[in-house]
Amino acid sequence: MKKNAIEYLRQARAEGLTVLDEPTGKRILADAGISVPRSVIVDSQGDLRAAADALKAPYVLKVVASGVVHKSDVGGVRLNLADADALATAGHEVSALMRTQGIEPQSWLVEELAPPGVEIVIGGAMDPEFGPMVMVGLGGIFVEVMRDVSFRICPICELDALEMIEELKGAPILRGARGSQTVSIEAIAQVLLCIGGEGGVLMACEQELAEVDINPLIVSKEGAVAVDARFILR
Amino acid sequence: MSVLEQIKPLFQPASIAVVGASASVMSGGNRFIHHLKKYGYLGRILPIHPKASEIEGLPAYRSLVDVPGQVDYAYVAVAARNAPEVLRSGRGKVLFAQVMSSGFSETGEGAELEVELVSAAREAGTRLIGPNCLGVYSPAGRVTFTDKTTPEAGPVGVICQSGGLGIDIIRRGQSKGLRFSGLVTIGNAADLGAAELLEYFFEDNNTEVIGLYLESTREGRQLFNLLRSTKARKPVVLLKGGQTMQGQRAAASHTGALAGTERSWASLSRQTGTPMVETLEEFLDTLLTFQCLTPRMNPSTRAVLFGNGGGTSVLGADALSRAGFVVPAFRGSTLATLEGLKMPAGSSVANPIDVPAGALQQDEGRIAEKIIQAVAAGGEADVLVIHVNMTVIMSFRHVDMLGNIIRAALKVREGNQSGMHIALVLRSDGEPETEDLKREYRRTAVKSGVAVFDELSQAAKALSCMRLVEAHRCR
Repeated sequence: MKKNAIEYLRQARAEGLTVLDEPTGKRILADAGISVPRSVIVDSQGDLRAAADALKAPYVLKVVASGVVHKSDVGGVRLNLADADALATAGHEVSALMRTQGIEPQSWLVEELAPPGVEIVIGGAMDPEFGPMVMVGLGGIFVEVMRDVSFRICPICELDALEMIEELKGAPILRGARGSQTVSIEAIAQVLLCIGGEGGVLMACEQELAEVDINPLIVSKEGAVAVDARFILR
Repeated sequence: MSVLEQIKPLFQPASIAVVGASASVMSGGNRFIHHLKKYGYLGRILPIHPKASEIEGLPAYRSLVDVPGQVDYAYVAVAARNAPEVLRSGRGKVLFAQVMSSGFSETGEGAELEVELVSAAREAGTRLIGPNCLGVYSPAGRVTFTDKTTPEAGPVGVICQSGGLGIDIIRRGQSKGLRFSGLVTIGNAADLGAAELLEYFFEDNNTEVIGLYLESTREGRQLFNLLRSTKARKPVVLLKGGQTMQGQRAAASHTGALAGTERSWASLSRQTGTPMVETLEEFLDTLLTFQCLTPRMNPSTRAVLFGNGGGTSVLGADALSRAGFVVPAFRGSTLATLEGLKMPAGSSVANPIDVPAGALQQDEGRIAEKIIQAVAAGGEADVLVIHVNMTVIMSFRHVDMLGNIIRAALKVREGNQSGMHIALVLRSDGEPETEDLKREYRRTAVKSGVAVFDELSQAAKALSCMRLVEAHRCR
């Protein structure tokens, strides 16, 4: 399983890429034991209706194009598409939008919309002194404005993972503060272990990887789903 | 050979060669010889000089080649470009060479020379310390690199990347009551680094607490693994310089943008139960805390304050709360016992226990002992912080109230079944008379295992480091 992750990364590097495309990134996560949305990849926008048949609505549509790191910034992501018609329409609109920006879609990623939950960010980076480090934070302003995150040196154990989550100033939100839904802290800890634990993605791919972001990981009472993944090559 | 056996000669060298002492002027090498003689070093001092037959009254050798027998420790203070040759000349003969000279990797252009220095040391079978450092301090081996260092040994081992700060740690530390098993300045740590020395101090029976001052390390993983291993049986206090330097690399991810040296060292601290402090003062105070106090089986969370001064009690309670302690009001037997002492109006026997100086003079100040005993017996305190406004106390000249308080603390400490930590805060006004007395009392108290601090906030911070170590041990 880990061999696959390394191979994906090496292959991408051999192709001159600096960032993995989203489907490949999610394949690595799925191989590592992390839930990702069920998905279908189609080569052309015309095949989107067929993709809808294989999945459960509502859908998410994402454009896959090399060099496009921030897909939503270029309008390449559409969420909550109610049925096959909505998906096909969104495909037309996004196609047009890409054309005006000179972006050539390589393929289209259609996913089932993840169940609602709290947005978490989990990531990894290579520290020049300590090597692989794993991070967790709450999504949105918690990470971006408050910088409310906690780091650990890899490999972490389950207790480390739970302490990392507990350390967040926003941790009460996960336990249902202010009427928010309580979420599975255990599920977050498991994803942290898959990324930063012994034999996890970061330890296994130390030579190939520079940074990883799972942003967001949507966590509900039932579990955690990695909705977007970005792998930056070394 | 164990790390202990390998490194022991560095702290107890039977012979010290000094390369770079001058026949005509007072150089660093000459000063080093002076320090050694004055400090009572009993081994052989072997000055190395290309021409002179005598240096500082000692017979000199032309080169390390000419020295008969083994050299445990070579102090090398020559121009950087000559240092590799000096190491080569000691081939097969020198166990440790400490290269004081600067002009290596700490300057951009010296990086290549440092590589050459390391390979010269490897070829010669010598362990290299430094370059760009100041020396080794070892009271047991009577080795020092600065003057006015106490010959009294103690349980504190220090690994210090900076030389100048090493002198501060020794000199200011000993004034606070710290006593050392050894201190090494490691400079650029091109060969022998913090990890091996840390392992040595873990194994050394004379060391009970280890201080680590680092600015950067090539041994991050080794340090992490060592501090997490079962070898890490002793508290380690970390002072990390260069925390605010931001990495210059542009990050392509949130994680990359949020990572950095501050985060990684804080992670090391959390994961290994290694308290990380921010200032030299905190570093010394925390080391003293571990020198005096033994970590308890359970994390110390409940603090009791006892002293004279209402405002100080309030500020002290604030400082302790901020440092993560609770300062709970007494319940049960402690309160009953304290109330039974019938202290005069103006006293408060809830926690904080605030007793004005006038009340403390009762019975020649013996009331203090009763109070301290009541707290110890009541079992409601993990930490007792006794604070004394020396100026006020000293104005009652007819009784040695301060002496009585300190003796009471020591007495309770000796018969202390509960393992309650006792800390003493001696608050001075800075007048020479007060300072003299404080020095004397500090010495007595620290010797008996009571940690002494200048201010309540310092005591609170240092004690919180104790709690962190205790909490990690029962994690």
